[in-house]
Amino acid sequence: MPPLMGIEFLCRVSDVLSDYLGGLNEDVIKDNFVIVYELLDEMIDNGFPLTTEPNILREMIAPPNIVSKVLSVVTGNSSNVSDTLPGATGSCIPWRAADPKYANNEVYVDLVEEMDAVINRDGALVKCEVYGEVRVNSHLSGLPDLTLSFANPSILDDVRFHPCVRFRPWESHQILSFVPPDGEFKLMSYRVKKLKSTPIYVKPQLSSDAGKCRVNVLVGIRNDHGKTIDSITLQFQLPPCILSADLTSNTGTVNILGNKTCSWSIGRIPKDKTPSLSGTLVLESELERLHVFPTFRVGFKIMGVALSGLQIDKLDLKTAPSRLYKGFRALTRAGEFEVRS
Amino acid sequence: MFPQFGATADTLSKASTMVFRIGTDAHLYDDPDDVSIAPLLDSKFDSEKCEALKRLLALIAQGIDVSNYFPQVVKNVASQSLEVKKLVYLYLLHYAEKRPNEALLSINYFQKDLGDPNPLVRAWALRTMAGIRLHVIAPLVLVAVGKCARDPSVYVRKCAANALPKLHDLRQEEHALAIEEIVGKLLNDHSPAVVGAAAAAFASVCPYNLSLIRRNYRKLCEILPDVEEWGQIALIGILLRYVIASHGLVKESIMFSLQCTGSSHSVKDGPDADFGQVKESTDMDGTCDYEFVNMVSRCYIEGPDEYLSRSSYANRESFELTGEQFTSGKSNDDVKILLYSTSPLLWSNNSAVVLAAAGVHWVMAPKEDVKRIIKPLLFLLRSSNASKYVVLCNIQVFAKAMPSLFAPYYEDFFICSSESYQVKALKLEILSSFATDSSISSIFKEFQDYIRDPDRRFAADTIAAIGLCAQRLPKMAHICVDGLLALSREEFVTKDFGFGDQEAGILTHAILSIKSIIKQDPPSHEKVIIQLVRSLDSVKVPAARAMIIWMVGEYSSLGEIIPRMLNTVLKYLAWCFTSEALETKLQILNTVCKVLVGATEDLLTFKKIFSYLVELAECDLNYDVRDRARFLKKLPSSNLVSIGQEEGTNDLPEKDLHVVAECILGRETRKVKTESFSYRFYLPGSLSQIVLHAAPGYEPLPKPCSLLLDDLNVPEGTSEIKKRAADYSGTDDYGTSSDPSDNESASDYDSQHSVAESSGSARGDDSEFTSEGNDNADPLIQISDIGNASENQNGVSQSGPANLGELMSDRALESWLGEHSGSSNPGISEQSQVRISSARISLGDVGKRVKPKCYSLLDPATSGNGLKVDYSFSSEISSMSHLLVCIEVFFKNCSSETISEITLVDEDSNRALDAADKAADVNQSCLASSDNVPTLVPMESIASLEPDQTARRIVQVRFHHHLLPLKLALYCDGKKLPVKLRPDIGYFVKPLPMDVEVFIDKESRLPGMFEYTRSCAFTDHIEELNKENGDSLFVKDKFLAICESLALKILSNANLCLVSIDMPVAANLDDASGLRLRFSSAILSSSIPCLITITVEGKCSDPLNLSIKVNCEETVFGLNLLNRIANFLVEPTLS
Repeated sequence: MPPLMGIEFLCRVSDVLSDYLGGLNEDVIKDNFVIVYELLDEMIDNGFPLTTEPNILREMIAPPNIVSKVLSVVTGNSSNVSDTLPGATGSCIPWRAADPKYANNEVYVDLVEEMDAVINRDGALVKCEVYGEVRVNSHLSGLPDLTLSFANPSILDDVRFHPCVRFRPWESHQILSFVPPDGEFKLMSYRVKKLKSTPIYVKPQLSSDAGKCRVNVLVGIRNDHGKTIDSITLQFQLPPCILSADLTSNTGTVNILGNKTCSWSIGRIPKDKTPSLSGTLVLESELERLHVFPTFRVGFKIMGVALSGLQIDKLDLKTAPSRLYKGFRALTRAGEFEVRS
Repeated sequence: MFPQFGATADTLSKASTMVFRIGTDAHLYDDPDDVSIAPLLDSKFDSEKCEALKRLLALIAQGIDVSNYFPQVVKNVASQSLEVKKLVYLYLLHYAEKRPNEALLSINYFQKDLGDPNPLVRAWALRTMAGIRLHVIAPLVLVAVGKCARDPSVYVRKCAANALPKLHDLRQEEHALAIEEIVGKLLNDHSPAVVGAAAAAFASVCPYNLSLIRRNYRKLCEILPDVEEWGQIALIGILLRYVIASHGLVKESIMFSLQCTGSSHSVKDGPDADFGQVKESTDMDGTCDYEFVNMVSRCYIEGPDEYLSRSSYANRESFELTGEQFTSGKSNDDVKILLYSTSPLLWSNNSAVVLAAAGVHWVMAPKEDVKRIIKPLLFLLRSSNASKYVVLCNIQVFAKAMPSLFAPYYEDFFICSSESYQVKALKLEILSSFATDSSISSIFKEFQDYIRDPDRRFAADTIAAIGLCAQRLPKMAHICVDGLLALSREEFVTKDFGFGDQEAGILTHAILSIKSIIKQDPPSHEKVIIQLVRSLDSVKVPAARAMIIWMVGEYSSLGEIIPRMLNTVLKYLAWCFTSEALETKLQILNTVCKVLVGATEDLLTFKKIFSYLVELAECDLNYDVRDRARFLKKLPSSNLVSIGQEEGTNDLPEKDLHVVAECILGRETRKVKTESFSYRFYLPGSLSQIVLHAAPGYEPLPKPCSLLLDDLNVPEGTSEIKKRAADYSGTDDYGTSSDPSDNESASDYDSQHSVAESSGSARGDDSEFTSEGNDNADPLIQISDIGNASENQNGVSQSGPANLGELMSDRALESWLGEHSGSSNPGISEQSQVRISSARISLGDVGKRVKPKCYSLLDPATSGNGLKVDYSFSSEISSMSHLLVCIEVFFKNCSSETISEITLVDEDSNRALDAADKAADVNQSCLASSDNVPTLVPMESIASLEPDQTARRIVQVRFHHHLLPLKLALYCDGKKLPVKLRPDIGYFVKPLPMDVEVFIDKESRLPGMFEYTRSCAFTDHIEELNKENGDSLFVKDKFLAICESLALKILSNANLCLVSIDMPVAANLDDASGLRLRFSSAILSSSIPCLITITVEGKCSDPLNLSIKVNCEETVFGLNLLNRIANFLVEPTLS
């Protein structure tokens, strides 16, 4: 078996389990061991994946929810194993449950982007790219056929699709044509490379002599998107040769954890001042100067904007039902955003 | 202070977690056996059964054996509730193998469920039934699978496909055909889900049976994008194999690029218009590393083990891809459709699918289209560390074979601090492998950052990578060296402060990189060496010091300044010698010695320093240093620079010893490959490519065009294998080296062939042999030269096995002979000379002439009432157990009356037991344990034997001892006759085919107490020779006759595999000394290899002196086998 297949399958199992159990840890698995057994039995057969489509699994083995829990407490009896074979197993669109009915037809499309950036020691932007996902949450009756098009598909460097996406329309016109699964799913993921700027800047300065190291880190907003940047955090690992650290900041809180990880959570950047972190690090006794430097990992969140600049042009439903509610959102987070010092 | 508050908080948090646990199965897990389970299982309420089963599952999860509930649980299979069923199935599968008999009870219920109207019930029943791995029910499961393969429900058909590998795993030969038939049917299914599962089944059940694919290749390609993702992975691999087996490689692809540069074969089909174009374009690119690509493509097709072992000796070219094995991707529709249908999969959400599709494009796509795999592969890099590593391993090979592919995307290989060390190291390796002049500056800028990384191991790797880049791009060498020098000076700051190995590692790597850069062009880096030497005082890391000192010795005569520095440097080294570490001390000794050897001036000082150092070293605490000192002292003092003590005692010329000294002191003339990159390649995406050895189940690509149109109906993979074997011998490169001028001797040998030819061909009657244009279909002897032949032969090395006749006319042989007579160098030992001038021959047909020896079991005259029973050991291997030996027994009725009811049984066993019953028992137990193997597998009895009629039976016997006879009872006409079966240790082994290289390698691992030798005389060949002399054949044939009679004798007496025959090509044609035969085998019971080498001494026409050597880990067995071989070699053949 190809190793990637194994890794990919394990990722699916963990996705499905955390979807069912609302988290994945030892306790949760112990508490729901029967469901875990049943799921695993359905997902893999003789070492080969059998049913991994979450929609079908959900129909075969009902996820635990409040109702079933209460029911089981009250009556002492509830089965989470379905008696009938989900119709979708046989269809050529196995991701879609057969014929759901909704009073309101809704489709929500979210662009969730993560920005990966590397800023080198000289402060130059070495790499800046966006890894994004188009997440769709659809509640549509019948067998809807959707088409989604972008205003500027040419900026996409590479894409990966949910199996529901038809390849040929994309190849010819860069149009996403698909029959969506029911509920929330990842329609596609994409990558936009070679972006020119980052929304915030981080300027670390470390100067060391005589067994001490002065640290000063400045964080600020580079160009205003008109949206507020939320939950800014800064994390870095103190080099092993540092004995003690004394760090203070003018906004937010600084924590130094046992494993020498230092985290500074700023939150929102205040209007009146530039957040800065400063302090001294005491080096090991023999050491004159610091010869290794930490890398700062930055976290942030911007609601309402996709930094890649990708824009959704329109979303159409071929067999239009009476009323269709469409919603669009965007969100950008920091991915592997690293500033070297 | 207030402990009670803490306690409250604790209980509160406990209580809050309890809330979340309400309604889950947590309580069942916490106290699974707080109620008694047995009554619950027998309850008539499904809910109670459910609870009991859940408790059992909890116990299983906690590692407690609850198999004692098995009978009660199995009863519940009949339950109507699906949840109960599911839980019972889980339990059942867990314990079925442990409790086979009780598991059988459930079969009836399964069969009932298979008829259930609910497809879910049918599918579950099938899955569970197939999951119970019992041989007894295999036929039932097969019927069930066959039925479900026609089920209207897609899900059930899919489960049927999934059940096939389970059935196949039971290894029951009789079902193999039926299983393959079902696979074929399911592959033809119209539902993509079923096809995916069928493809997976195909890959594990019958991967060779590509004719199944031929039937619906087009359909499979079209359906591929709709198949579910896991099936896609299997199906992509199958389709790729099929296309290669049926159409060969693609001319425009990377795999072909080498063949068009050098091989004469491809030029042959040159008129093709496409072809010329391709050649042009590759030249324009100029980006492929041809040799590398060639290696990769060969590894893909042959498997690296085979390829490397073969290429290590001379017949490297024996497997040549001929022009016919290529197809054009532009004109071949099958290739086109495969590429067309796999290209959208590069966008798949499943990374394994993307990699599999990329693999197809890598192998099959025209070169200019290969670049479409780049972006998808790079996209895969944004995932977990584990899959990142796997993808990088594959990218590494791609990038190495075609650096231009990934070079523009170097930024994607820049390193994030959050990545694991393995990923970082791989990225560095990739970066340094494709750095170009344009990208190198930004790569170096990155590298500079990495050097400051807190992970010092990674920083050290970065420095090594800088060295590699500088070697690849000589333009950058100066910049690199300067940077590294600065770095090494900077690191001195930290040198003393015990940061341990990591900082030391960085310094060592820096010096190592500098050293390797200097090596490329020493004169231009003279100043660097001087700077390094100057910094010697501040460098404290022993390994780094040793390297700098090595450079002093190595480049002592370089330029102007260094020779002048030597005096001071050596004095300094002598001064600090005592305080140095071991490796530095050794290096100082070497260097001083080297300087002394090469010095022209200042000799006196150097000599003084040297003798001072040697004196110091001789008193060193470390014995290595003492030894080195003594050795070096002897070397120069006695000869090269006459110090005076032992002058003139040596009669060897001074100059020679000078050379010796130079050689010993490590002038590195041979370039050692410093690259850590492995030269083993496996198919992209395979596990083997990650672990770099053939993982179980790995299969290289099939031979191009090995799937012939006529073998559509061949059931098993055997034909494929046979064909592979034929391919090897069939596509040999004849003709190019043969010299037609020497026709006379060639025809002589032809006549000799025709004598031997009558014995028939051992390797089948494939048409390939007729294409040789030679009228004898099978060469009797094949000669190829041995790999470690002396160097000057490499130019004329004979490639591949060739006819003896052709070889005789070959200049190569003449040059061997000439060289042999001419070489009279006393320095080389006799032994090595024999090895140098010997040829390897193989006897083509000896297997057919092997006649196993017959022993008498029952003599008709004495006790047999006219029944004659003979037996001989068969070379068959028992399929039931490795402890059993197959014996062929011949019955003959020599009396005038009919003899009835003949059977042979173990004396101790009870005859009342029905033979058939017992056979079934054996069948079952043979896998389970070796203790149950009976002494004698009951044979099919002979109902009656007419006068003069003969019958033949194969019996399988388990001998308890290698030497002691086994007592059996022969029943005939109701009478019991005791007989004794004598074991022959020669048949307690099975042939173990292997290469000579493997043989020698194995042999070298079994030295000393695992090696036993005996010598004996051999006379059989004399008779043979006399016979042949009558036929007025050539003198040279004596060797052949000896080989044949010896091999025949051994193969008729023991079940061995002839590995090779080494024949001396000596001046004296009557001297058989040096003839060496190698046989290999494995012990039946333990599969331990047992290697036999027979070396011949003496004249051809006289009795020969054989020395037999057995290498075997099992001492007693090996000795017994050795004695047996010696015994039968001595006794004359009965003719």
